[in-house]
Amino acid sequence: MPLTEEKLKQFVGIDSELIEGPDTVCKEMIRHWCEVMEDTNPLYQDEEYAQKSQFGGIIAPPMQVQVYTMSPLWPKADREPNSMELLVEELASQGYTSIVATEQGQEYFAPMKLGDRISYTISVDKISPEKQTVRGPGYFVTFLYKFYNQREELVCKQTFTILAYNAISKE
Amino acid sequence: MNVSSQAAITWDDVEVGYELPILDRKITAALVVGGAISATHDYAEVHHDYHAARKAGADNVFMNILTTNGLIGKYLTDWSGPTGEIKSIVLRLAVPNYPGDTMTFCGSVIQKYQVDEQNLVEVEFTGRNSLGNHAAGKAVIALPRR
Repeated sequence: MPLTEEKLKQFVGIDSELIEGPDTVCKEMIRHWCEVMEDTNPLYQDEEYAQKSQFGGIIAPPMQVQVYTMSPLWPKADREPNSMELLVEELASQGYTSIVATEQGQEYFAPMKLGDRISYTISVDKISPEKQTVRGPGYFVTFLYKFYNQREELVCKQTFTILAYNAISKE
Repeated sequence: MNVSSQAAITWDDVEVGYELPILDRKITAALVVGGAISATHDYAEVHHDYHAARKAGADNVFMNILTTNGLIGKYLTDWSGPTGEIKSIVLRLAVPNYPGDTMTFCGSVIQKYQVDEQNLVEVEFTGRNSLGNHAAGKAVIALPRR
């Protein structure tokens, strides 16, 4: 059932608290990333090269920033749900239980160095009216993320859009 | 690992209309599932569970957006070399990347400009598979001078 505009508006524009990611920027996670991407950029894994570069040492791929903050599968994070999670829950309770990402925009600032701890804030930026899509009816929702390191330097600003939809099952 | 000899593209080498080399990437199940779980720590079921993906209206498990973003970043610095610094990537997904397909990346320079002593190019890119455009978007890269 579609949600009222008034109901949806309640979720927009509320910054979450600063949430610290579970993993520290490290060689192992960089290697796992590069292994899958087949990324041979020496800044990410070649210490000798990276030391002589403008960064003075290994940096993580900037595209990897969100990975350091992904919620663990287990145990569930012990904190109050943020407005994104509350909105996703509200949409799910009305039948829009499936989620697919449709857009991602990242702007990079401070590089991520080994040992950095990445934290982020998130807010709901906008919610579309209900749309009919090939996968079923749903809402496009755009979130704004800001990622910081432990020195409180901005690392990345991200927009992230999902479609939360009531799926037409193929099972 | 010694890949430091990678060719470096300079800002002076590039004009608007310059085309990046085309790159093909096989979309294996390992890339889709490993991309989600190992590379990007994304446990959403649609990226590793066939039946969950079908229930969500997809034909099969499909690549997550963070992996697509990572592959685009790799595509860009494969071209520029490590002295190219990615400043931003904005991408929009269309058709899914299912295992068994191949994604073909291409890109071209649509803008060349300088801001705050940085020598920037804007690249428009697409990642296409047998179903159509999987990803399309724009990225800004800072390049060294010759």
